[in-house]
Amino acid sequence: MSVAALQRPPSRPAATTSTAIALSGVGVRFTTERGTVAALENIDLEVRQGGFLTLLGPSGCGKSTLLRVIADLIAPTSGRAEVLGGPPSAARQRRDIGFVFQDAALLPWRTIIENVALPLEVGNGRARPGKRSPRELLELVGLAGWEKAYPHELSGGMRQRVSIARALVNDPKLLLMDEPFGALDEITRDRLNEELLQVWAETGTTILFVTHSLYEAAFLGEEVLLLAARPGRVQERVPVDLPSPRCIPMRETSAFIELVAHLRRVLETC
Amino acid sequence: MSSQAVHALPIASAFTDDAEAQARFDSMQRYLKWRKRLLPLIAVACLLLLWEGAVRAFGIRPFIAPAPSAVAAVLYAKFGLLMQNLVPTAIEALLGFLLGNAAAILIATAFVYKRTLEEAFFPVAVMINTVPVVAKAPILVLLLGNGMEPKIAIAALICFFPTLVNMTRGLRDVSPQQLELMRILSASPREVFFKLRLLNALPYLFSALKIAASTAVIGAIVGEWIGATSGIGALIIQATYNFDSPLLYATIVVGSVFSATFFGLISWAEHRFLKWNAGRAS
Ligand SMILES: Nc1ncnc2c1ncn2[C@@H]1O[C@H](COP(=O)(O)OP(=O)(O)OP(=O)(O)O)[C@@H](O)[C@H]1O
Ligand SMILES: [Mg+2]
Repeated sequence: MSVAALQRPPSRPAATTSTAIALSGVGVRFTTERGTVAALENIDLEVRQGGFLTLLGPSGCGKSTLLRVIADLIAPTSGRAEVLGGPPSAARQRRDIGFVFQDAALLPWRTIIENVALPLEVGNGRARPGKRSPRELLELVGLAGWEKAYPHELSGGMRQRVSIARALVNDPKLLLMDEPFGALDEITRDRLNEELLQVWAETGTTILFVTHSLYEAAFLGEEVLLLAARPGRVQERVPVDLPSPRCIPMRETSAFIELVAHLRRVLETC
Repeated sequence: MSSQAVHALPIASAFTDDAEAQARFDSMQRYLKWRKRLLPLIAVACLLLLWEGAVRAFGIRPFIAPAPSAVAAVLYAKFGLLMQNLVPTAIEALLGFLLGNAAAILIATAFVYKRTLEEAFFPVAVMINTVPVVAKAPILVLLLGNGMEPKIAIAALICFFPTLVNMTRGLRDVSPQQLELMRILSASPREVFFKLRLLNALPYLFSALKIAASTAVIGAIVGEWIGATSGIGALIIQATYNFDSPLLYATIVVGSVFSATFFGLISWAEHRFLKWNAGRAS
């Protein structure tokens, strides 16, 4: 540890520039006819810029709600959320946030390339093109040649890759992914996991990734955040000590297996 | 790296691997398509033959049920008269179609953005819709006179309701995730309407338009029954009073063919503009 610590630059940059997400005491309550639900309570969370944090937790513990707060889709009922050094709404309006939904959420009347280009068309002139064109992004996610197809012609995994390309088209500094590979088979999921790590390495974007798979959480994340339910709160934050870049065979190492076992034990207490 | 291999997968050529199987599949598809087109034609031809045979065999008098050959003869001999009467009906049906659907689309848009309006006026629309056309027609003739206006109004009214219901549904039934996507992109309300809601509503709209295409013609014809000197409806009434059954049947054929053409046109437009909807439709 000491060697790495000594090699670090003596003064780390100020917290505002290196912190992508800072939540303090964030709580979200939903009021319905059947009463109020505390979806999240008193969440403190910091994620560094360029980090990869995976979120695990039982169903209904508020993982999606947490991403929604960060993406400015809902406002927290208490506490403060800061994204990229400002309020989440400012980050959203600067197009610094990309969001990948569980079911891809493509527009069926647009071709694949038009779907990827959607963020460049809407937003009242806020649309700024990123470094990569929609075409290059399709290539990046392995869908070159499918530009003119319609979403209904694609498989679930291909659609999910389109939605990842779309989320990247503005070069977001923060990528929020809500169970993006939940509906896919293991093999496709493994491939997309590796591709996602490659995208992360190439773009340097900060990623928050929700999943129900212990393996996926351990394989992708630099750290795993475990949430407990009712009310949604942070149970534990587990660093992942695996060498990078990660590759699939790494999942057979004893370090990985132990990590997954630990995550499972913690998850059982959530 | 193994993910490179993924990029190189030749997905697009997966279907063209086996040329022979592809050819067999294509010819099978062609055969099925022709079969689907020919079978109804053969059925219609058989029914007509049966009808012609029955009229001749039992010596049925023409004013009770004319033979198909007699109807065909009138279609040929009085083609000019028939077309002359089709023109006003067609104009009434088309204008009614345009007016009724345009009004329905605008009001559906208002309903989606102002729930109060829907709560206030939807029951009124339902009430008007429950009044039968034959009852609405005389009222509109009294209100609008004896010209084309009441017929256009009837055709419009008859189109209005299905389109209103479908369009409201289509504009509203947008997936929550697509709406969240638009918010992430900081889309303006205008953009949400034109790039999301309106396009989402198109399949719903087209199902309503297909219904409206045939009902608009019915509306115009019923309107002409109440008071008109020309038009398919007027000709139907005249032919009936004169016991001129061959002319009556010929008139009905002309009206039906027009109605079917109109329907076919809308179906073609749907096919043409909603290619992307193929997955959902099947
Ligand atoms: N719009 C809403 N209105 C009312 N309650 C809500 C709403 N959204 C979420 N909730 C409630 O908040 C809690 C957390 O929901 P959330 O969707 O964040 O869970 P989750 O961790 O993403 O679950 P899952 O793993 O099943 O996706 C749940 O109890 C849910 O019922
Ligand atoms: Mg969720």
